[in-house]
Amino acid sequence: MWQYLFKRLLHTIPVLFGVSVLVFGMLHLAPGDPAQILLGPEATADSIAQVREDLGLDKPLVVQYATWMSKMARGDFGRSIVLGREVFPEIWARFKATAILTVTSLIIAVMLGVSAGIVSAVRQYSLFDSIAMLVALAGVSMPLFFTGIVAILAFAMKLRWLPSAGMYSPAGGDLWDLLRHLVLPALTLGTVSAAILARMTRSAMLEIIRQDYVRTARAKGLNERSVIYIHALRNASITIVTVLGMQIGYLLGGSVITEAVFSWPGIGQMMVRAIQARDYPMVQGGVFFVAAMFVFINLLVDVLYAYLDPRIRYR
Amino acid sequence: MRHRENKRGISGIFISAATVILVGLLWATPFGGAAASSDTLVVGLVAEPVTFDPPQVTDLNTARAVRRVYEGLTGFIPGTYDIEPALAESWEISDDGTVYTFKLRQGVTFHDGSPFDAEAVKYSMERQINADHPAHASGKYPFAKNYLGNVAAIDAVDSHTVKFTLKEPFAPFLQYLTHLSIRIVSPKALQDWGADIATHPAGTGPYKLAEWQPGVKAVFEANEDYWDGAPSVKKLIFVPIVEAQARLSAITTGEIDLTYDVPAESLDALRGDANVAVLEGLSAHVWYFVLNTRLENPPFNKKLVRQAMNYAVDKEAIVKNILQGTGVAAYTPLSPVYGKTHNKEVRRYDYDPAKAKALLAEAGHPDGFECKFLVPVSGSGMQSPVDMGTYIQANLAAVGIRCEIQTMEWGAYLAEYRNSPQMAAMSWNSTVGDPDYVLYRLFHSGAFPPAWNAGWYQNEKVDAMLGDARKKADPDLRLQLYRDAQKLIVEDAPWIFVDHGSQIVVHNKRVKDFVLSPNFDFKFKKVTLE
Repeated sequence: MWQYLFKRLLHTIPVLFGVSVLVFGMLHLAPGDPAQILLGPEATADSIAQVREDLGLDKPLVVQYATWMSKMARGDFGRSIVLGREVFPEIWARFKATAILTVTSLIIAVMLGVSAGIVSAVRQYSLFDSIAMLVALAGVSMPLFFTGIVAILAFAMKLRWLPSAGMYSPAGGDLWDLLRHLVLPALTLGTVSAAILARMTRSAMLEIIRQDYVRTARAKGLNERSVIYIHALRNASITIVTVLGMQIGYLLGGSVITEAVFSWPGIGQMMVRAIQARDYPMVQGGVFFVAAMFVFINLLVDVLYAYLDPRIRYR
Repeated sequence: MRHRENKRGISGIFISAATVILVGLLWATPFGGAAASSDTLVVGLVAEPVTFDPPQVTDLNTARAVRRVYEGLTGFIPGTYDIEPALAESWEISDDGTVYTFKLRQGVTFHDGSPFDAEAVKYSMERQINADHPAHASGKYPFAKNYLGNVAAIDAVDSHTVKFTLKEPFAPFLQYLTHLSIRIVSPKALQDWGADIATHPAGTGPYKLAEWQPGVKAVFEANEDYWDGAPSVKKLIFVPIVEAQARLSAITTGEIDLTYDVPAESLDALRGDANVAVLEGLSAHVWYFVLNTRLENPPFNKKLVRQAMNYAVDKEAIVKNILQGTGVAAYTPLSPVYGKTHNKEVRRYDYDPAKAKALLAEAGHPDGFECKFLVPVSGSGMQSPVDMGTYIQANLAAVGIRCEIQTMEWGAYLAEYRNSPQMAAMSWNSTVGDPDYVLYRLFHSGAFPPAWNAGWYQNEKVDAMLGDARKKADPDLRLQLYRDAQKLIVEDAPWIFVDHGSQIVVHNKRVKDFVLSPNFDFKFKKVTLE
């Protein structure tokens, strides 16, 4: 098991290296100059050249990449061009907000999606199944910004149940305040994943409950609960966990839009602004950090596979 | 059996793991304490401030926050571009217009407790222009050349008198001194914090920064020792709300007290809302298409063609249909906020496609021509660029000018704009309120690319007038020069003049005496809450 883990950890090194080359390359080859954007329309050519020099942007790309990597290797993410502050504390503060949002969305997705999927499969073609799958289809099809804006219109503006923006009330708040602010963005973000999970759980369960061993279990006289939750669900869970792993990536990506709609102070919103400003250290550090997190989560999913399916273990 | 179910249920494992993570995160997240009160005003900004160091501020939303904390030697009377004393009580200008001597206000202290005096003015300004200055390394100074480039020396004559010697006489100098980038920063704070002055501001303004949580809020407290009396609103909170719909929701539900840039189609409903007031005012903004007038760029080098393009564009319709009344059609580069300097007696390009066709025929293009123009998808002051560009494309096509539109992301656009495109959209807003800042920078041949005369417009008479006007101290003479220069520029049509965006602020009716500033600033010193 440990050897397996170690091997998987080693595999992440080339992946992260690839990520670093890609993000650096794409960012620096994209048109647009951070100095120009930073200084805005009023800037003179002299001041732009001066800022480029201050930022080291006048050096060859290879040198810039090497400087960045050697600093990163020492845990130094550099300073943001726009904010003038250290990159890592900024990323970390924002990542916490994003994590609160995505983890809550994930819980919502699993609770709604998996249970709806199981019930739909067990009662295939029932009224519940038809309605659940219709709702799921709508959930998968609707773009996040649309669901988000509709949620704001309905629950914040018309009904006035919940706040529309931010993580806390302007004057500051407690845990209750945070939870109230969390409801709309987490539901918006979680709905799509819940819908996908419901559909995948349903089809995985349908496939399994028709298999011989399930029939055997029933023939043995086990009650239906044990048949579904122990015998069928465990085997269906390989599919569910795979989808779930991919959904975490989707949630991290989807949080960019959700954060923009609800002004959630997360990493997605920060990255959008950093990209628009070509804030190289911020974008590079942020993408690298998120990629590392994603690789780590995938590793966890793989370990979970090994737990669920002994055949995968120790290979 | 129950027990085994719980133990093995995969969703159960996931939910409990995720809950543990969530609880951990919540635990690690700090919570604020205070509740909203009657002397607290909450502002919803489109984007959060990025720095609190004046010379490094390059965007409007940051400026709206930082201007609360810092003051210049001069300022604007609220709601106007008229100069009033700020940190300087009075001033004298030498006859040749090169020496400005300021008497500073007595008994003013910075937010960090250190005294404001002539040495502080010298220290704060020289930080930007003198590379050997002890605080020079604490920042980047993108605007230093613009605002202090003409300053030869700054001398502290006595503790409260400071003398600026200019290299050349420069009439808009008092206006330039209002600019945020050269407002006075506490020397002690610069020595204490270095580059971290960006998060530890110390100015002399009516508000001091009390708390700043990036992405969440910036909190200001009233400066009780303010030289002009403490402000009535004791606490200001600026929160970023990116989405227009969310700002609309927050202002209608009372989550915030003041905001702007709400969806234009919601304005009618807001005007009918008993709880909010909608303020509308002109601004110094102008939105235009720059046309590359160089000889090697036919047919844009022909005046008749450029005039035809101006007649072909229905700007009143653009203002009405696309901007939904959130602007006024532009007939000159200077908006009506410039008062008398805004010249109405220029050639008036009212929508007239027949005249446009006639002019094209006269210029030798009876069948029109093909062209390509650039439009950003969004950008600072750009309103609805793609919709406006598409409308203009249709207007031009109606008179035979068949243009292809190329849309670009703002960052890439700014880079491309400096490569002398044939035709490209741009907007301009003067923060310092002097016509020099618009006309000289956009139409003088001394401002050819990479500066901002992007269409390479050149008219010797205009050059002479604009050069003369920045040296003349007599306001009446300047006024006449700028009026005359506008007439020539509009006649030459180096742009397609489109509109002046208006500014629209929505606030809760409990906010009293809030006044719009032509340069989009938000002032709260005289605001009261009911």
